[in-house]
Amino acid sequence: MRLGICSFEKEVIQALKDGHWPEGCSQELRGHVAACAPCSDLVLVTQAFQRVRSESSHQELPGSPGLLWWRAQLRRRNAATEQIGRPITIAETFALMVTVVLGIGFIASQYNHGLRWASWCSEVTLSRALHLVSMGSSAMNGNLSLLIPGLGMLALIGGLVLYLVTEKS
Amino acid sequence: MDSDAFAGFYQRSAPGLRGYLARVSGNPTLADDLMQESYLRFLCATHPEGGEVNYRRYLYRIATNLLRDHWRRPRAMGLEDIPERLLAARDGMSRVDSQATLDPAMALMRPRDRQLLWLAHAEGYSHKEIAEITGLRAGSVRLLLYRARRKMARLLREQAADRSRA
Repeated sequence: MRLGICSFEKEVIQALKDGHWPEGCSQELRGHVAACAPCSDLVLVTQAFQRVRSESSHQELPGSPGLLWWRAQLRRRNAATEQIGRPITIAETFALMVTVVLGIGFIASQYNHGLRWASWCSEVTLSRALHLVSMGSSAMNGNLSLLIPGLGMLALIGGLVLYLVTEKS
Repeated sequence: MDSDAFAGFYQRSAPGLRGYLARVSGNPTLADDLMQESYLRFLCATHPEGGEVNYRRYLYRIATNLLRDHWRRPRAMGLEDIPERLLAARDGMSRVDSQATLDPAMALMRPRDRQLLWLAHAEGYSHKEIAEITGLRAGSVRLLLYRARRKMARLLREQAADRSRA
């Protein structure tokens, strides 16, 4: 497409921008604009927009700069807090993942003993169980001494991590 | 920028920015929302160097991006979907003759053309500055602006002719 580039275009734009059009312009320039379609369009459109722009500057504005300033400060502070809290969130997520992995590993490691425990549990009567408790951990089966504190520790850590993760929400 | 400096900058720049957003979007309510969001983002961002001229250009770039985001949203009503009659009906601002002349013509322009026309003829930005604000190439701005201006001039002349006949 061929653009209607006119050598007077810059001059016309400057005159319009400075508010010199039409009185402050030479007769030659005015004569040119009257004859040149692109320059004539330029003047017509620019004047229409400048009038609207000028009128809109007298209209009441919504909100106030003070309120915007305050809201921006609040937003910046929230963003900063979020940025600071990000490593903590990552650490919490990591701790949760480690706990879950440890838990799965622990269960998997004890899975082989599952049948033996099942048979052991079926043999143990209530009285024998009480007897074992009274005798202390030294009397316990080696696997059982590992299982009970392990499960307890896992539940404790899991609960703590779950609390930390859900604390924010 | 402290709060007093911002207050001064707001008073000087807000009318133009509001006019830009209102004319391009065709929706004064949306324009007010986008204007406030533009200033909030401007305040939260690192300001460009070069004083108020660059601040203003940066502000228009934020506003232009917000307009673009608004139109990209699937549920948002595109400007093309807004009936022409609504453009005038939803305009809560006081309507004076020049607005009454410009708004119907603007309603027949594409959003991109409205942007270019406002930035070039209301704000007085150069092709290069408009390219920075809109993300277009300066060469494209020149061509698009030329076409938009020609169409706008034709519409304004037609309206003037209609009024003189009536």
